[in-house]
Amino acid sequence: MSFLNSYIYYIGAFGLILIGLYIILVKHNLIKVIIGLGVLDTGVNLFLISVGYVNKGTAPIFSKPGIGSEHMVDAVPQALVLTAIVIGVAVLALALSLAIRLYQHYGTLNLRKVREQRW
Amino acid sequence: MVSPVLLIAVPLGLAFAIPLFTLFWKAVIKWIPAAALVFNLIFSLLLLPRVLENPVIVFIGGWRPPFCINLVAGPVGILFSAIIALVGLLVSIYALDYIKEGAVEKYHILYLLLLTGATGVVLTGDIFNLFVFFEVLCISSYALVAYLRDKAGIESAVKYLIQGAVGSSLLLIGIGLLYGQFGTLNMADMAGRIDSASTISLFVPMVLLITGLGVEAAIFPLNAWLPDAHSSAPSSISAILSGIAIEVGLYAVARVVFTIFGASSILLFLSLLAILTLLVGEMCAFSQNNIKRMLAYSSIGQIGLILFALAIATSYGVTGGLFQLLSHTLAKALLFLAAGYMIYRAGSMDISDLEGMGAKMPLTSLAFTIGAFSLVGLPPFIGFPSKFLIVRAALATKETVLIVLIGLALVGTVIEGAYFFRVVQALYFKGEKGNPGRNEAPIVALLPMFILVLLIVVVGIYPKLVTDVLNSAATEFLSRLEYVRNVLG
Repeated sequence: MSFLNSYIYYIGAFGLILIGLYIILVKHNLIKVIIGLGVLDTGVNLFLISVGYVNKGTAPIFSKPGIGSEHMVDAVPQALVLTAIVIGVAVLALALSLAIRLYQHYGTLNLRKVREQRW
Repeated sequence: MVSPVLLIAVPLGLAFAIPLFTLFWKAVIKWIPAAALVFNLIFSLLLLPRVLENPVIVFIGGWRPPFCINLVAGPVGILFSAIIALVGLLVSIYALDYIKEGAVEKYHILYLLLLTGATGVVLTGDIFNLFVFFEVLCISSYALVAYLRDKAGIESAVKYLIQGAVGSSLLLIGIGLLYGQFGTLNMADMAGRIDSASTISLFVPMVLLITGLGVEAAIFPLNAWLPDAHSSAPSSISAILSGIAIEVGLYAVARVVFTIFGASSILLFLSLLAILTLLVGEMCAFSQNNIKRMLAYSSIGQIGLILFALAIATSYGVTGGLFQLLSHTLAKALLFLAAGYMIYRAGSMDISDLEGMGAKMPLTSLAFTIGAFSLVGLPPFIGFPSKFLIVRAALATKETVLIVLIGLALVGTVIEGAYFFRVVQALYFKGEKGNPGRNEAPIVALLPMFILVLLIVVVGIYPKLVTDVLNSAATEFLSRLEYVRNVLG
């Protein structure tokens, strides 16, 4: 069980990343693909957080006497994740607004049917 | 002396000031991008002589690297920011008249943000910061591809967005893995410690970084979005996407491969990939009837050539690659700008509908012809010395593989010549005879084209004007220890 204890976050994160990639590659519906992008983003964010996580660690603030820096989680990945979340929101919002436009033009969200541009 | 931070801060601030100007002074908004880029261009050119002697390192927040976010204004960064500002300025002048319909103020905001992102990518010394600026560039280009809101634009923007977002996620995973190993995000610090890590633990992040950045740089299996996006965007945006966005992607790939990893073992693979990119791009371009799709595929071919030259990784090779990058940026921007008004006047993107344009729009056609000849590599245009340098660099290595590959690249150039001459022939020697009415592009569109033509010819005749800068930029790429020493002090 100690293996699971120390790696469970990574397993979860890469599980989410793979699920997200699977949805993006396999699904035909644009909304589902966008959901896949969201899942992928979440997986990446979870991964970044777990990179900086210290087991039973606390926030890196000297709030109580007796807390040493060895019991604190790394703050840098959290700052990265905040930024990454904001970027992810922007991408998802843009994707959804494009989906509305796509539906207005083609009357469908099925990406297999939206094929005017070819090589 | 003011600091290079202004190269990012001024366009960013002005971009977000545009919505304020729409409230009370609408006439000025279309001039704001031009004003910001004039500032960037002058400022980059003023900084250039100084950074050629010593790179300027800017710390933000009062900490020394590796604990702060830093900007590295070395020869590479300032060279790229000058190119971005120059082409961006010319295209923004062109857009004064070209962009009339739609949400004009949003166009200008996004346009300025795109160029801010590009400038940020080339100047930053922090890999997460690079990711953020890259996203600024990507998100504004997704939106700009869909600017016309027509069927083709929306479809291409959706495809571009999905592929770009997956690429960015891979890039972020790669950054996370590197941070997990080294506990730093500073590229110089990372480069300094990378030798202590085992090869296998570096391989995965490197592959993720190259794949993630390769989507934007349009390296071969990752470039399915490019022809759609570049052909359905407004022509001024196509010029920027082809001339700047993919070059910035290539810069990031080169920075990762050369500076962070110092990876010499992957270079052969990259050069194979590059030649594949080149041949695929040129062959697809050959079979196109749509002029903008043809130009977009030709961009893929050129990206292949630039990547090949960078992957030679000798001083000549990298100089040649950067020279080719400069010549592609100028020529492809010129081609898209000229094609933009020809398409506008003809009402169609088919090459067969552009027949006889040489008589109707003589100046625009001449500009297109010069751009095409330069891209093919005919003297006395800028494409000739740059291609010549690459061929010479490949031959100088005396490695059989590289010599075979440069032979294939020359085959690609022949194909390139074939399809560009076909268009030039259609412009001048086809179509109905007689005296068609002249209907030239407006003067604000001709001015940037004229400046681009001038640059292409002048630098083509005196390549010495730029080779010194390109040489020191190549040195910065190749001597990573010096980069580390400069940044960490």
